Amino acid sequence: MHRLLDYILWLPLLGALLILFIPSQKKEAIRWSALGTTLLTFILTIVLYLGFDQSVAGMQEQFSVKFPWIEQFNIFYSLGVDGISLPMILLTGLLCFLCVLSSWTVEKSVKAYFALFLMLECSVMGVFMSLDFFLFYVFWEVMLIPMFFLIGVWGGENREYAAIKFFLYTFAGSVLMLVGMIALYFLSGKNVDSFNILALQGGKFSNEILNVFGTTLSFSKFFFVMLFIGFAIKVPVFPFHTWLPHAHVQAPTAVSVILAGVLLKMGTYGFLRIAFPIFPEASVYFKEAIAWLGLVNIIYGALCAMAQTDVKKLIAYSSVSHMGFVMVGLAAMTIQGTNGAVLQMFNHGTSTAMMFLMIGVLYERSHHRWIVRPDGTKGFGGLYTQLPVFSIIFIISMFASMGLPGLSGFISEALIFLGIYQEFTTITVLAVIGLLIGAAYLLWMFKRMFFGEVIDSVKDYSDMNAREIFYMIPLCIAVIFFGIYPSPVLNIMKGSVGSLVELLGRFQ
Amino acid sequence: MDLNYTVSQVAPIALLPFFAFVINAFIVKRFTKLAVAISCTAIFLSFVISAFIFNDFFFNVYSADYHIHRVFNWFNLDSSLGLMPFKMGIYIDNMTAVMLLMVSGAAFLIHLFSTYYMADDKRFGRFFVYLSLFTSAMLGLVLSENLLSLFIFWEIMGFCSYSLIGFYYEKEGAGNASMKAFMTTRVGDVFFLLGIVAVWSVVGSVSYVDIYNAINQGLLSGNVEFLGLSVSLATFAGVCIFLGTVGKSAQVPLQVWLPDAMWGPTPCSALIHAATMVAAGVYLSLRIFPLLELGGLLPLVAYVGGITAFGAATIALVQTDIKAVLAYSTISQLGYMVLGIGVGSYNASFMHLITHAIFKACLFLSAGSVIHSLHDHHTHAHVQEMPRMGGLRKKMPLTFFAMMCCTLAITGAPLFSGFVSKDRILGDALLLAVDAGGAWWGPTLLGFGGALLTAFYMFRMMFLSFFGEPRDKDLYDHTKVEKFSINRNFPLLVLSLFTLGLWFSGSFTGQGLVKVPGVENKEWFKTTIVKPELSTLGKFRTYSSDDFSQQPTPVQTWEKSKYDSTYGLSEEEAHHIHHIHHIGAIISVFIFLGGLFLAYLMYIKKSLNPSVFVNRFSGWYKALLNKYYFDDLYIGKMIQKGLLPLNNLLSNFDSKVYDRYFIDGWATVTRQLYRLSNFIDSLFVDRVLVDGTGTSVRFFNVILRTVQNGKIQFYIFVLFVVLASYIYRVTNF
Repeated sequence: MHRLLDYILWLPLLGALLILFIPSQKKEAIRWSALGTTLLTFILTIVLYLGFDQSVAGMQEQFSVKFPWIEQFNIFYSLGVDGISLPMILLTGLLCFLCVLSSWTVEKSVKAYFALFLMLECSVMGVFMSLDFFLFYVFWEVMLIPMFFLIGVWGGENREYAAIKFFLYTFAGSVLMLVGMIALYFLSGKNVDSFNILALQGGKFSNEILNVFGTTLSFSKFFFVMLFIGFAIKVPVFPFHTWLPHAHVQAPTAVSVILAGVLLKMGTYGFLRIAFPIFPEASVYFKEAIAWLGLVNIIYGALCAMAQTDVKKLIAYSSVSHMGFVMVGLAAMTIQGTNGAVLQMFNHGTSTAMMFLMIGVLYERSHHRWIVRPDGTKGFGGLYTQLPVFSIIFIISMFASMGLPGLSGFISEALIFLGIYQEFTTITVLAVIGLLIGAAYLLWMFKRMFFGEVIDSVKDYSDMNAREIFYMIPLCIAVIFFGIYPSPVLNIMKGSVGSLVELLGRFQ
Repeated sequence: MDLNYTVSQVAPIALLPFFAFVINAFIVKRFTKLAVAISCTAIFLSFVISAFIFNDFFFNVYSADYHIHRVFNWFNLDSSLGLMPFKMGIYIDNMTAVMLLMVSGAAFLIHLFSTYYMADDKRFGRFFVYLSLFTSAMLGLVLSENLLSLFIFWEIMGFCSYSLIGFYYEKEGAGNASMKAFMTTRVGDVFFLLGIVAVWSVVGSVSYVDIYNAINQGLLSGNVEFLGLSVSLATFAGVCIFLGTVGKSAQVPLQVWLPDAMWGPTPCSALIHAATMVAAGVYLSLRIFPLLELGGLLPLVAYVGGITAFGAATIALVQTDIKAVLAYSTISQLGYMVLGIGVGSYNASFMHLITHAIFKACLFLSAGSVIHSLHDHHTHAHVQEMPRMGGLRKKMPLTFFAMMCCTLAITGAPLFSGFVSKDRILGDALLLAVDAGGAWWGPTLLGFGGALLTAFYMFRMMFLSFFGEPRDKDLYDHTKVEKFSINRNFPLLVLSLFTLGLWFSGSFTGQGLVKVPGVENKEWFKTTIVKPELSTLGKFRTYSSDDFSQQPTPVQTWEKSKYDSTYGLSEEEAHHIHHIHHIGAIISVFIFLGGLFLAYLMYIKKSLNPSVFVNRFSGWYKALLNKYYFDDLYIGKMIQKGLLPLNNLLSNFDSKVYDRYFIDGWATVTRQLYRLSNFIDSLFVDRVLVDGTGTSVRFFNVILRTVQNGKIQFYIFVLFVVLASYIYRVTNF
């Protein structure tokens, strides 16, 4: 039990190794072993959830594992979970399992695909568990490798461009993070705790000064901005968002799901775990700017989404908009706002994963994703009549995504609004417009694709099969259940969120 | 009977239809008939429980203050100050009790009617799935004790409305209409949410009672600052929440969606877009009445209501589709309710909500009964165009009877319910205009003018469809003569029974038909539904709320209500009020007769030719046909000329300018940089420094031979040294 995090972290990699030993002709065996691995990992994350003590507040305290790794530099292999990372770990476990199911139809180098996919799961888990900054960085970077190949090999027609763009963009952010990490290492005295995320927290660098190019800057503000950009690229925060539409459009379904469902949350997780607690006074100093950036994300993302004629691109921009809500909630630095933001990270993970999975289902039938083709004709029409089951599940995911009360997105958005209103009224007033446009682009897309007469090209589509329905059911249950009863997620996170807000509050 | 209900006795009102929805969602495909039966049974049981509650409130207790308030923690957030509970719960007072009976009763009758109307539809079962979800949401909304849970049910109703308007999804128009309905109401809803947040931020809760108490304690007297403006919090929150009403109750300027909502099946129009959901907007405004009062918004509310009441009535004059007439009349009548709130006529406004729900549900069901019987054998479609009707009273006498009762009610014929409720609103408006004068005359005159138009267009509808000679002989001859059937006619007849005014006013003379033991008075509606005015909010401090898990507070003895709105006034003042109300009533009667007479002249006697007016006022006529160009403005101008080009512009900027030049541009920058360094490397380092020292070629030959020894480690070492010296150079410049 006390090594549970180890098992969750390395099991996917073990699975990947196992797959490497299966002959590549045995596709079924490869798929089943990938499925088994992810299922087992998911079950272990549930065990982790059940064993988690909700009454312990604070950051990263439970199930901790710590060994020296590179002793010369005081780098440790150190893992742990708290209320902020646990929802993300659960989400990763669930989505990876469902994604393997949805990737059943992948036929191109099945072996490499699943091996890389499991490697991706391992690195994502590692990011959410690491307590050592260096270890965190390693997992953060390792994650790029499987992503690069998954997009670049199994992607759409323009996959190489998208893969390189994704890689370079993220890499640029990582470099800034690397600089910040090294600076912290030196400033904190290169001692045992110099890479220890927990030990660095608490605003220890408030009074440090930095000389750059002859000007004197506040150490914490300078490196907060560096870390901010590093994480902001991942979220993505405007103006660092342009990799997202390319990556989403080109990536295969399962990778889109992981990308939108989990990887984007790594950015906001970085704020919560590293940037905010290590530089609390700088976070407070910049909070209004962050809130405005979040607002731009909300409105700009939503307006851009409305112009898209490619469904996947539309959902990609909707992610930009929804992550804006998370940013705004984080910037509020209030109990409601931060709880809402973390809850929104989880809820957006489930709802957007549903959207991408549904579009994947549709793509397998249509082999295109045009709402309106470039020549102006309809890409889809009358799907409601042709695919009744598909339509119902699509409606659930669409309304979950737009935050209909009774479905999960609403509670987190309402909490974010409550939190931000107390701090920035103007931003709140403008952000509600985002809710409005958020409904508009989804409903307009739905209207154009699902209503009306069945057009010719749609007539031979078959409705969802048992496998597809099976992997949508857990998400449907999640968005409805957490919409009615959010406490299971809120209860695990609120202690950790509370101590973070309290820490930030001391610097207000 | 024990008056302290346990939650398990009350919650099933909303939960039974919800369970019906959940069960039916799974079984509807295989067992359609069973699903329909489950839905109908569930709503009938809800109705029975509501009737018990109604009985307790009005026949046992009969107190203005009697209420049941039970809450539970939905979820908590922790803070250093302790728990931050988000509560849900039920709040039943007299108003809730009346609403529960009306909603469950109307919903049950409409369920019953739907088994007739939708029986041949291929999605018969699915209709009931939505209907059950809708009913449970509406009942949940009524039971809600706070604005947040009200909002949740409010939006779920919006979703049901969306689904039912788009019920015939093969049709492109249904898709457009459903999207328009959802989006237009959503405009109001997002502001409603903002208002909830604004109230929450100071009150720490959005329970009605807590809001009343906060207002009473002056907590909402602060200001809100945004966008450089500074507005009183009560005004800000009041406007935001009232915008929710404007959207849901289809008030100007968000009225555009309701006529399009008629794409849905007729029973759903009766339930959602006439009796319940659209009235929920008015219900919301009634609940936040003190907030509107504190924010100084009542004149605004009155004008919105007055303009809506009059404007929608004018559009109804020119409609030829029987459902469209009813749709505009719904907007207009909702306008009267909002007008009533604006002029402080709380009680009458709520009464109009109830009376309207009954007669309008009946009107829609009657229209459904007509439409369903008129079957065009050429196009295989139902007919709803009035020019193709005429003389139908002989074919469907029962429907005609019901529709006539309701028409008399809505037009304000004396003795009918519409007269009682609408006349009181107009009487209060007139009173305010006489006393306060000035701007109050505007809504008052609009209200009276709208009443004239209402009488005219409703009788026009009746005359065109039921009187005269059949204009489409073929259609008429193919129509069967109506025979009594339970699911078709029973709902109509029950509803038309309740169009009589005495149910609401007490008696023909306005005095006590519903005798309550121990009460001399009077009118049950007037004495039990008490306006929560700013001056009387103090009493809410004594209102307790119990947790779900606890035993309810022991039975108090409740005083029988002797509430009288004229209490405390001098004889003279009271006389003045009665006097003005009498004048209002007399005007209303004349207005009703005037409208009836005009319609008679035009459509029965035909001594006035409508086309004369059409030609004389052709500009107005065109404006009316185009619904005052609102759709043109919103869809044609604001969305198609404003929003969509903006979207395209931003999207193109994002991908074609920002991404291409500012992001991918870095690739170009990098390329230039490496060209530059390559140039420097080859020109200076290689050609000048290396080749230039031609004299020592032999020397270099030796070196180069040593260097190019094929050992990769050495190469890397050299590379590293060169790079290091290069960087050293560059940094030292």
